[in-house]
Amino acid sequence: MVILVTGGSKSGKSKIAEELLSGIGRKIYLATMEPFGEEAKSAISRHRKLREGKGFETIERSRDIRGSDIPNGTEGILVECLSTLCANEIFSSNEKASVEKIVSCIKLLKEKTKRLVIVTSSVDRDGIEYTAEVENYIRVLCEVNSRVAELSDVVIEAVCGIPVMLKGAVL
Amino acid sequence: MILIIGGAYEGKTGYAAKILGISESEIINGSICDFCEVYSAKAVNNFHMLIKRLTEINEKDAVEFVADICGKNPNIVIISDEIGCGIIPLDKNERRWREETGRACCKAAELSEAVVRINCGISSVIKGELP
Repeated sequence: MVILVTGGSKSGKSKIAEELLSGIGRKIYLATMEPFGEEAKSAISRHRKLREGKGFETIERSRDIRGSDIPNGTEGILVECLSTLCANEIFSSNEKASVEKIVSCIKLLKEKTKRLVIVTSSVDRDGIEYTAEVENYIRVLCEVNSRVAELSDVVIEAVCGIPVMLKGAVL
Repeated sequence: MILIIGGAYEGKTGYAAKILGISESEIINGSICDFCEVYSAKAVNNFHMLIKRLTEINEKDAVEFVADICGKNPNIVIISDEIGCGIIPLDKNERRWREETGRACCKAAELSEAVVRINCGISSVIKGELP
């Protein structure tokens, strides 16, 4: 089962995503954020605290998540998150290739686990016109989000910490 | 406590006045009101702006502030814009405002008996039931 969790900044996405994997055997946390700068470091440590004691093994991979060594017998994978992965992929290649690469990586991860939970962000609803570079990023992330939502069984939007179901249902 | 959220100009304040049976003029404005007014008001709108002012004076944590409001004024209706669905702002203070508002609204949702989201003017109760 593939579950996509989207939502705005600080909308409680991670907490919801982690709870979707509670009670699941061996589980991997696939972290995509690169620890550049103080704020990234503090975000990473905040997320680590949130995950503490929940039984995740962490794999850090800022791009090309297909290469992640997922151990045999993994029952759950949490990918956090597509918005940073997208930024990292675009930075190292180009937009079109990035979309295809991320979608194919997600399809591969899906085959390696019973439950794949993917966190992404909604970044396209503030009405601000950005530079061409940033607009490209928004377009790529939105395309990735739509493609991943299509292959997901369940899509959830986190709103103030509340899971709002957009597609399917969690059994 | 009830939380009403949604994008800007979705009719959130009008909706709050309707469910409370009060006029919109009785709803205090988070952009300009005194902080202490929220401890007694029936409803406050522009809560995201109240949080912005709170982060500017740097006196109190936004999550603690929400817990205080709920403790002192448990029947208040809080109305906030959702401001997190964009690109991470370059400006540090803007980033902080966005984060604090997100956390404050998560806390308000947790403490509220009902949470309503308004989108295209259509209300959905996403937590609990309206009294």
